[in-house]
Amino acid sequence: MKSLTIFLYEWKHFYRSPFKVIALILFIIAAAYGLHNGSELYTTQHKEIEQILEDVEAEKDKYLALYEKGEYALEDRPWIDISTPYWAIWATPTYYLKKPSPAMVYSIGQAEQYGFYKKISVRSSPYDSDMAAEIANPERLQIGTLDFSFSLLFLLPLLLLILLYNLRSTEAEQGFLPLVEVQTASKNSWLLSRLAFYVVLCFISLLALLLYGASLTGVFENGINAFVQMALLSSTYLLFWSFVYYLILRKGKSILGNTLQMIGLWMIFTFIIPAVVHQGISILKPVNLMTDFIDAERDQRWELYDQADSVIIAELLDLYPSIEQTPVFTDETKIGFARSRSIFALANELKRSSIQEVEAENKLKNDFIESSFWYNPLSFFQNKVNRITETHYDDYHEQRKAIQALVDKRLDALLDGLWNDVAVDKATYEKYYEQLAELE
Amino acid sequence: MWKIIKNEWLYYSRTRWLFGISIGFVLVLLLSVLLGNYQTKNQSVQYKLAQDELRAKWENLKPMNPHRAAHYGTYIFKPVNLLNSLDDGVSAVTGNVLRVEGHVQNEIVHSEASQMQVVSKFGKLKSALLLQYIVPVLLIFLAFSSVSNERQSGRFKLLLLQGSSPQKLILAKSLSVWLYGVALLSISIVTYALFNLQEINAALIERTALFFLSYALYYFIISALTAFFTARWQKSTLALTTMLGLWIVWTIFLPNIAMSTVEQLHDLPSRNTLKADMKEDRSKGLDGHNPADERKEELEASVLEEYGVDSLSQLPINFDGLVMQADEEYGNKVWDKHFGKLREVLSQQKQAYQYGGLLDPFISLQNASMGFAASDNLHHQDFLVKVEDYRRMFIKMLNDEHAYGGSKTGDWSWAADNDFFKSVPDFTYELSSAKSILPRYFMDLLLLSAWTLVTILLILFGTKKMQNI
Repeated sequence: MKSLTIFLYEWKHFYRSPFKVIALILFIIAAAYGLHNGSELYTTQHKEIEQILEDVEAEKDKYLALYEKGEYALEDRPWIDISTPYWAIWATPTYYLKKPSPAMVYSIGQAEQYGFYKKISVRSSPYDSDMAAEIANPERLQIGTLDFSFSLLFLLPLLLLILLYNLRSTEAEQGFLPLVEVQTASKNSWLLSRLAFYVVLCFISLLALLLYGASLTGVFENGINAFVQMALLSSTYLLFWSFVYYLILRKGKSILGNTLQMIGLWMIFTFIIPAVVHQGISILKPVNLMTDFIDAERDQRWELYDQADSVIIAELLDLYPSIEQTPVFTDETKIGFARSRSIFALANELKRSSIQEVEAENKLKNDFIESSFWYNPLSFFQNKVNRITETHYDDYHEQRKAIQALVDKRLDALLDGLWNDVAVDKATYEKYYEQLAELE
Repeated sequence: MWKIIKNEWLYYSRTRWLFGISIGFVLVLLLSVLLGNYQTKNQSVQYKLAQDELRAKWENLKPMNPHRAAHYGTYIFKPVNLLNSLDDGVSAVTGNVLRVEGHVQNEIVHSEASQMQVVSKFGKLKSALLLQYIVPVLLIFLAFSSVSNERQSGRFKLLLLQGSSPQKLILAKSLSVWLYGVALLSISIVTYALFNLQEINAALIERTALFFLSYALYYFIISALTAFFTARWQKSTLALTTMLGLWIVWTIFLPNIAMSTVEQLHDLPSRNTLKADMKEDRSKGLDGHNPADERKEELEASVLEEYGVDSLSQLPINFDGLVMQADEEYGNKVWDKHFGKLREVLSQQKQAYQYGGLLDPFISLQNASMGFAASDNLHHQDFLVKVEDYRRMFIKMLNDEHAYGGSKTGDWSWAADNDFFKSVPDFTYELSSAKSILPRYFMDLLLLSAWTLVTILLILFGTKKMQNI
């Protein structure tokens, strides 16, 4: 019997087994449901960003109208003077917005553990409390959302298990194996052909699901890269489990034994190894309680205000040597205000250095996780999927870097305005609005 | 029946593969308890160090204006309790640090999950992971093999001919397998107790007992259902695949779907909307017609009347402190309205999720496990409420000191001394007793008991007339 015939004949085995058909249908339903969950989060985030952009636009227009009228004080807060750089920058609405990738439809990843927008001010930092994750039920976060990646990584191996568990072992139990050998010449190629049928079946299902997902959020609008990467990764993962199960099946003699081994291996890869790695990290590097950041953000920042003027100036000159050449530097009447407002820049430096330590510690944790990938395939594949869908830790690390860059930029503009005694008019405000939101 | 159970255990002890698996399992369970306990205690030490450091800073504050101190504020770290070493619950995804300061109720931040890439979808290697996910699968295989072996060898027929009833046989088989699960559960609990002998108190014992009960009920459901299906269905492998399918649906599938569904049924607001609504209420008044300035004028008039003076400068107290406290209390109403709504939605979600136990006993087990281990969202919310209560007391003490400590209205340079700051109590959080939390998880225990009853009835009535098993 030729391999192709065996392959095609397996279709009969499949559709005559209601349990297998139901398993495949359930898998497809779960994966489609997961795609919808991903798509829903994508839409929600997208809408939220649109709303923020609308609010920003309205706020900007409100201030532009004031500039046009030549009114620089706010009605309810008369002490605010938006013709000065400090208040003009305060009145410039700037947000960092992490626009979701359409590929989020495939994996929600860590998207729900971080905020995806942040209002920037001269006091901001990437670890502010408003960077807390979007409001969600912690129990749902802990249980995990049923997204496509969950179906791919956790349910696909189970589907394969159901499709493959009785391959060869049924014949072995019923004593047909010698007959199979006579008819096919090789039991191995016979088993491989049958297995190939299910691999192809799963691959086609996955591809169809990926295409369906792509249609929900317009994955192809950003090119085919994410789709191709997802298809390749899904295939690799499918082949990985097919190979693992094949090794069990080729030696398997009983259905019970096969099932026990297959589910045992699934549990080891899915539950035990990742859990051991997670526990290991928690012991070696317990959760960071951010005491250094608290110290910088509160205690050290407060101490800045108690420092002598000369010390503050010296520290400012270290950071911004150019202020020495500015007109305010030699103006006794204005230097006090500029100096006191420039303290935000010094506080920013303190926070920045404490953040570097936090990030370095996080990097150690991530290095530890990555060093486990060779024996921890689930975490490897999960993080690969998250990278493709831009919901990986690194994407949020980049977000924090971008936020810091925007804060730095804002402070540069503030110091430039303060020390050069800039009088802010409509054109300058518009310039602030354009420049402060842009990342270089 | 006792004889059958005894024989069954004799068979277990003589079955080499089962003996090997059991030894391996016990070792992994012991390891999970050991590591879980070590990690929890280690984390506890870290928390204590951080909390002590922050408290020391507060107690060493130099003389300072109380309102400035309210802005300086303090930080509360979410404590871990010993039961976390059994079930970590939501601890990894919730934040750990909460800033306590004037004017605002902050949110808890810096979760463990946000500090690294994804490692484990099902959490750390804690006892709950093994007891919830792995032990039931072992029980399924054991119950299946126990009943199908008897069928294939023809011993069942023999036992029936000798006068045994099929119900009794299946029930005895179920109980034998269940006892095996309970033995594994007991090993975890006893080891955990031995590691924590010195810290054990009544609340911990009660909670652990309820934790034990929930798992024991679930194990019976799994063991009895598998034994029933294996005995009932002619094709024994169908029973195994059905039970495994059911396990997949119950454990992996339904909890995810149920949770996502209840979140859609009871919608949570977005952070942006919540903040905007609170800002609106804070500035315009809860009714939209009572802005801060008007409220201040009303307060001023009433205080002047109370003290019988004409102007704020004549007051023997600092009116600013009263204004700030009034504003704080107004703010509290706003927080209560919005955060209260949020908690209400979360509570509705929890209740709806608990009803999922009607279809899936694993949902009830998971709820009960996290709940009795004090690591579910209800306990998390309880902690947040306690912190907010503390914040209100903390800020009120500072505002009262500002108002009545000896300064006059408008004097922002007045400073409270260090003794005052030391007198502000530190935050403490005690684990509530099992009795107080039992009503919250009554539904889960009830559903687990109902499932147990249903499986017993299935065996009693579903196997009654079986002659050819």
